[in-house]
Amino acid sequence: MTAVPAHVPPDGARRNPPDTAATARPPVLEVDGIVTRFGRNTIHDGVSFTVARGQVVAIIGGSGTGKSVLLREIIGLLRPTAGTVRLLGTDVWAASPEALARLRARFGMMFQDGALFSSLSVADNVATPLKEHARLPPGLLDPLVRLRIAMAGLPPDAAGKMPSELSGGMRKRAAIARALALEPEVLLLDEPTSGLDPITARAFDGLLRVLCDDLGLTVIVVTHDLDTLLGIVDRVIVLARGKVLADAPVREVMAVDDGWVQSYFSVRRMINEEGEVEDGG
Amino acid sequence: MNGKRSADGAAGATCRLESSGGAPVLRIAGDWRLPHLGALDGALAALPRLPGAVTLDGAGLAELDTAAALLLSVRLRAAGLDPAQIALAGFSASHGRIFELVRMRLAEIGAGPPLPKRGVLARIGHTAEHLWLLALGHVSFLGLTVASLAATLARPATLRLKELTAQLEQVCLNAIPVVVLVTLLIGVVFAYLLGMQASQYGANIFVVDGVAIGMTRELAPMLVAIIMAGRSGASFTAQLGTMKLTEEVDAIRTLGLSPVAVLVLPRVLALMIAMPLLTFAGDVASIGGALLVAGPMLDIPPRVFVDRLHTALALRHVVVGLVKAPVFALVIAIIGCRMGLDVARDTRAIGISTTSTVVQCIVAVILINAAFAIVLQKLHL
Repeated sequence: MTAVPAHVPPDGARRNPPDTAATARPPVLEVDGIVTRFGRNTIHDGVSFTVARGQVVAIIGGSGTGKSVLLREIIGLLRPTAGTVRLLGTDVWAASPEALARLRARFGMMFQDGALFSSLSVADNVATPLKEHARLPPGLLDPLVRLRIAMAGLPPDAAGKMPSELSGGMRKRAAIARALALEPEVLLLDEPTSGLDPITARAFDGLLRVLCDDLGLTVIVVTHDLDTLLGIVDRVIVLARGKVLADAPVREVMAVDDGWVQSYFSVRRMINEEGEVEDGG
Repeated sequence: MNGKRSADGAAGATCRLESSGGAPVLRIAGDWRLPHLGALDGALAALPRLPGAVTLDGAGLAELDTAAALLLSVRLRAAGLDPAQIALAGFSASHGRIFELVRMRLAEIGAGPPLPKRGVLARIGHTAEHLWLLALGHVSFLGLTVASLAATLARPATLRLKELTAQLEQVCLNAIPVVVLVTLLIGVVFAYLLGMQASQYGANIFVVDGVAIGMTRELAPMLVAIIMAGRSGASFTAQLGTMKLTEEVDAIRTLGLSPVAVLVLPRVLALMIAMPLLTFAGDVASIGGALLVAGPMLDIPPRVFVDRLHTALALRHVVVGLVKAPVFALVIAIIGCRMGLDVARDTRAIGISTTSTVVQCIVAVILINAAFAIVLQKLHL
């Protein structure tokens, strides 16, 4: 596999170049030789890739190629049949429970439909990881929760609402706010824009890019959304037939000679038939 | 450099107030991150009173995250500094960005309305209003169901027989074992305990009267109703609630069908048919249970027991029990279905509604039973 430098979108979506000190650090995520079998069904047959600090990386693939499964294996919810996952330098599947608990405070995960705790208000949802894992000085919990909610782009009055009172887009933002609570170094997202209208989805993409640039976050996103890929993603990893089919900036991936990849991107070409240049974002 | 005061936090995070050339400079250095907030707060608290304008120097910062930046901003604001007026110096690009990000949102954070908290009195009021609206809703749903029933009676062909039989199997046939088991055991216990007392007066034989009248008139209908509240009422709420959540109910409505006719009516009718039958099964099982212990424990042979049963158990007691059963069934089915169709659109609501259904059904059944007792007493039945 070729190491790919951080891809800079042509319109300069990446506003700030990564610190040189940051790029010198070891990769945030190393996935090595992952094999996953459910019964006789092989999902992954030796999946390997690495993700460097400060990148926005998308994992794409047809349905059933095990994108979400891979994500669950990375964060320690589902044990792969073979292979290793090193997240932030910790071997997820060989770590002691204590090491794993420490690791869990260093990444944030956003599940597909937000997975907000339905019995708690948005503010309490965001406060939960802070109450459990951080010892905050008195009086700081409330402002910190409000800061997270503001960072996720939610209006202040969303704090007191219950998840069921929020729209789909706001639920996802609340989930981001909760995932960001503990100042994670890595943010993992499963289908963040699914079920959102294009405008809300693009606003969400913008939020991800800003968070990545401002906080130096590494973002790993499983997505189907072509616009997300073209707009904010530095690098695309394509899963197919249990392997990594391609691992490159989106424009290089578009040129890969593979039936699935070609038909995936051809949808976009049909829309752009009139000859306007799609310039990512 | 004169007048240098410093306060050190743990993990090498420091903040010092210095003055260079007359202008006060607050130098922050080290590891300013979430895990060290407690120590950082201590360090900030140890600072002397801050002058009006301060330059913030972050040249020595190793790490800065938004939580620490927030702590710094909040504490500086509390010390009388306007965070927007603080001049930054020596910050690396990324640290400056993080501080700006927090500072930019500080006004927004402070401006939010206070998180709502409800007093005891307000809660009592809310609960009372909620209960009142709940009862009102049940009554209106009952009306809706009756109207739908009338429409179905006018055109019997529209009755959904398939759904009705499926429900009957669920609520009646499949419930027989648990109903029989429970009432049989209650019959055994009831006869045994009654016999213990009666035998002290040599009145063993009256155990038959007690068990037969008590069970058929009061206990069997109540027990069956409570079992049905837990079994069918809860399942109605869960089924219809899930259908509401997955928008099946909306689909039914969109197809021009009435959810009440399609979903509610078969359930209500099935339960109203099932309950008297189950109650009768309960009557038989409980008397059978009493019969089982009467021989060995109370010296009442089966022949004598049955003879006594003939004279002691007037038909009206059994009928009273069987008449109450469909009323209980109606209440349970209405509450169960209405709570299901009324479920809010989130997953937590189904659990809450199901629990609520069972509680409401049991309370309603007991209240109605009490009303029956009074009315029947007045009617000398």
